[in-house]
Amino acid sequence: MVEPSFSLSELNRQVKNAVRDALPEAYWLRAETSDVRVNRNGHCYLEFVEKDELGHAIIAKARGVIWGNTYRLLSPFFEQETGQPFTSGLNVLVQVTVDFHELYGFSLTVVDIDPSFTLGEIARNRQRVLKRLEEEGVLTLNRELELPELTNRIAVISSPTAAGYEDFRDQMENNPAGFVFYTKLFPAVMQGERSEESIIAALEAIFQHGDFFHAVAIIRGGGATSDLSCFDSYNLAANVAQFPLPVVSGIGHERDVTVLDVVAHTRGKTPTAVAEIFIAHLTKTATELDVLQERLVSRTQGLLVEERSDLLSLSNRLVHHSSLYLQRETAAIQQLATGARHSFRQVLQKEFTNLQQAIITSRHLSRRLLDGEGHRLMQAKRTLLHSSREELRDERNFLENVEQFIRMVSPANVLKRGYTLTLKDGKIITSSKELHEGELIETRFRDGGVTSVVQSTGSSPTGIGKNYRWRTSPRLS
Amino acid sequence: MAKMSYSEAKKELEAIVKSIEAGELDVDLLTAKVKRASELITFCKEKLTTTDEELQKLLEEMA
Repeated sequence: MVEPSFSLSELNRQVKNAVRDALPEAYWLRAETSDVRVNRNGHCYLEFVEKDELGHAIIAKARGVIWGNTYRLLSPFFEQETGQPFTSGLNVLVQVTVDFHELYGFSLTVVDIDPSFTLGEIARNRQRVLKRLEEEGVLTLNRELELPELTNRIAVISSPTAAGYEDFRDQMENNPAGFVFYTKLFPAVMQGERSEESIIAALEAIFQHGDFFHAVAIIRGGGATSDLSCFDSYNLAANVAQFPLPVVSGIGHERDVTVLDVVAHTRGKTPTAVAEIFIAHLTKTATELDVLQERLVSRTQGLLVEERSDLLSLSNRLVHHSSLYLQRETAAIQQLATGARHSFRQVLQKEFTNLQQAIITSRHLSRRLLDGEGHRLMQAKRTLLHSSREELRDERNFLENVEQFIRMVSPANVLKRGYTLTLKDGKIITSSKELHEGELIETRFRDGGVTSVVQSTGSSPTGIGKNYRWRTSPRLS
Repeated sequence: MAKMSYSEAKKELEAIVKSIEAGELDVDLLTAKVKRASELITFCKEKLTTTDEELQKLLEEMA
């Protein structure tokens, strides 16, 4: 006997009916959102997950959908109420209908949401981890590091087979500026429960190479966001935060910001974005270099131009001022020469005038002098003439007197008048004492002499001859 | 210069450019500094765009 059997569609229809019968209403469901995506038609597809108490292992999972007409109302409402967009990692309270479709299988269709039930377990966990890192003072350590200007030696933590890693290498190697990158892969398991430990081991391997590397890239391409839970772990975050090289993360989709993304130096959404971050950084570095070069060239050229123009201006000024100076000096010298000639002439003229004056004066003076002298001479001559004439007259008078006297006193005249001369031995005797008795004397008379002998001496005639004296001439001037 | 790091070279270059811009140098010194600056720029650009075979080898030898 052949057991009755179902075709798959028959079976699925049975399941569908059973589900609808068993769960006919809409039910409020607590779950975490994950892998939230909105397609072009505005329908939102997502997954609902439930994790164990530690928040690591996923213990339940279901596909969900929010049809476009619902999502268009629900999404803004949720964002308005919670202050954050409806994304993955949210613990939500949603009203769902439970559906089973023959072709698409099990899914939950969201018909309503309770925004007050917002912070999901993942977000709450993230908050806890971040708070702990902050309390330990390590939260921002890696963010505070600086990417070196030349960041081109990059340690890459990735799954070697991941498409994201290929994208990353492709992007780096074909960068349009032709920058050289030295990348080294440090393989790690990037999903599942072993990933945390594996990534930490890769970091330690990179650390062994000291400062050879400039930065670390942790990349992971594709996959469902529900697999991101390890990037919210405290251990990995603490390691990354305290790693001595800047870490750039690129582990997920745009919808998810993990704890790793928060503590990393820079967050790239995808591996390609991480590559772009490095390329952009080198572009900035190269631009700075170009700017410096530009500044150098332009300033140097500027300086040379300035220097040349300074020289030109200096030489112009030199020529200008020297010729001015020469002109001025020439003029000054000419003026001096003119002045000198003029004053020389003046001096000469003055001297000449003085000389002429002196000549005239001296001529005049000497003439006056001569005149004076002549006059005096004439006077003298006259005086002389006069006085000599007088003198002569006096002399003549005197001589006449003398002549008269002489005539009057001549012995002949005297003898005539009765007087005699007594001589002894031919000499005139004037005193009786000259004669002694017995001596022979001669007495002369006017008309002859007699000789006698002296009888006695001692008696003298009375009063004779005493009144007669020779009268001398009054003067002989 | 071979042992110089990029940032050391960049720093020196910046200092030179600044001193030139400040007009602190006379023409004689300027020439020497510009020459040095050109060398530094070349050095830095090479670091950015020319593969250092030695580095490449080191990288490949890493376990």
